[in-house]
Amino acid sequence: MSSTSQKHKDFVAEPMGEKPVNALAGIGEVLGKRLEDKGFDKAYVVLGQFLVLKKDEELFRDWLKDTCSANIKQQGDCFGCLKEWCDAFL
Amino acid sequence: MSLFMEDPAHFSKSRLKLDLVAHNVVLPPTKSRKEIYVDLYLKHIAQKNAGDFSSDDEDQEQDLADKEEEEDAEILVQSCLTDDDLKAALLKHGVKAGPIVASTRALYENKLRRLEQSEGQGHVNGVEKGVLYSDSEEEEEQGEQEDGESGSEGAKEETAEQSNQAQQGSSQPSQEPVKDTIEEMFLNMEASPTGICATRRRPIKGAAGRPVQYIYPDTPTSPTTLERREVERRLVPIHIQILVFFILACLLYIIYVCVEGNSFSPFVALLDSLDQGSESEEGLMLQAETQDTPVISGQE
Repeated sequence: MSSTSQKHKDFVAEPMGEKPVNALAGIGEVLGKRLEDKGFDKAYVVLGQFLVLKKDEELFRDWLKDTCSANIKQQGDCFGCLKEWCDAFL
Repeated sequence: MSLFMEDPAHFSKSRLKLDLVAHNVVLPPTKSRKEIYVDLYLKHIAQKNAGDFSSDDEDQEQDLADKEEEEDAEILVQSCLTDDDLKAALLKHGVKAGPIVASTRALYENKLRRLEQSEGQGHVNGVEKGVLYSDSEEEEEQGEQEDGESGSEGAKEETAEQSNQAQQGSSQPSQEPVKDTIEEMFLNMEASPTGICATRRRPIKGAAGRPVQYIYPDTPTSPTTLERREVERRLVPIHIQILVFFILACLLYIIYVCVEGNSFSPFVALLDSLDQGSESEEGLMLQAETQDTPVISGQE
């Protein structure tokens, strides 16, 4: 059994469509609100940023930290979630 | 500026002579007046001393000032760089950068700054190694957090991480990981009332035949996919639909050909046979009618 959360599994199971940014693993209410304020209101917008950074872990973590002050665990969860989604659907 | 002003006029002539010789200054004729010695002393030695003194005091200040100036200059220079220049600079450090857009520019500038600082420190740990260290430490942290080990081990991790970070000179402040680990520890505590969390240790990726990618025992199916599968089961499968479509198309084509009266021999034969069939039928009907009518007329 892997150490991913239920939220992660739910997100990675299907195309994200119009899911809100709260649906990302590691992004809860507080972080979601901060991201929405910066204009990242849907999960696919964050995916866009992830892809523009060429799926690089370090850069994406830095961006998350700068944008919504995510801690290390949250950064890791979000990165892992998006990376797996891309492996499955992109 | 020298700390204390030496007045060579107070020195004795012999002292002045000795000092001049020590500093390799050509001595004036022995019978010359003390003033000449004083002048020479002031000219050569005082300047030298002034230089030496200033180097003692100002060196340290200058170093700091230089560093600050360098950093300021660096920041200024980096923000003046065009996107292409920034990309080239990153490439020089071995980093293949992606598109430098409004949202990514700041991140790449920070990365360049970090690379240049780490190079300035003299390649203690390569930046890539630094990234690896930080990642592995974070992974170890998370793994240990999940095992729910005591705080002493967490503290050890923190100090190790801090010392490593100090060496690498990474941008993350040393307080953040401390806060993060404390938060994570408390998160675990809140989940279970006794404060003990026994979760399975994260398996080592790629070891003992374990695959690197995530593999779940059951394929995860969301409610929407389940619904879709059920609906698909009830509908007619696609292959049968295509087959029926082709059969209908062929039938229609044949009918069209028959109606249009094509010059193909089999179809002509078909037509002829149909005509003959219809003619024979008509002939029979006519005969019947002619037979009927005389009968009818006969009866009347």
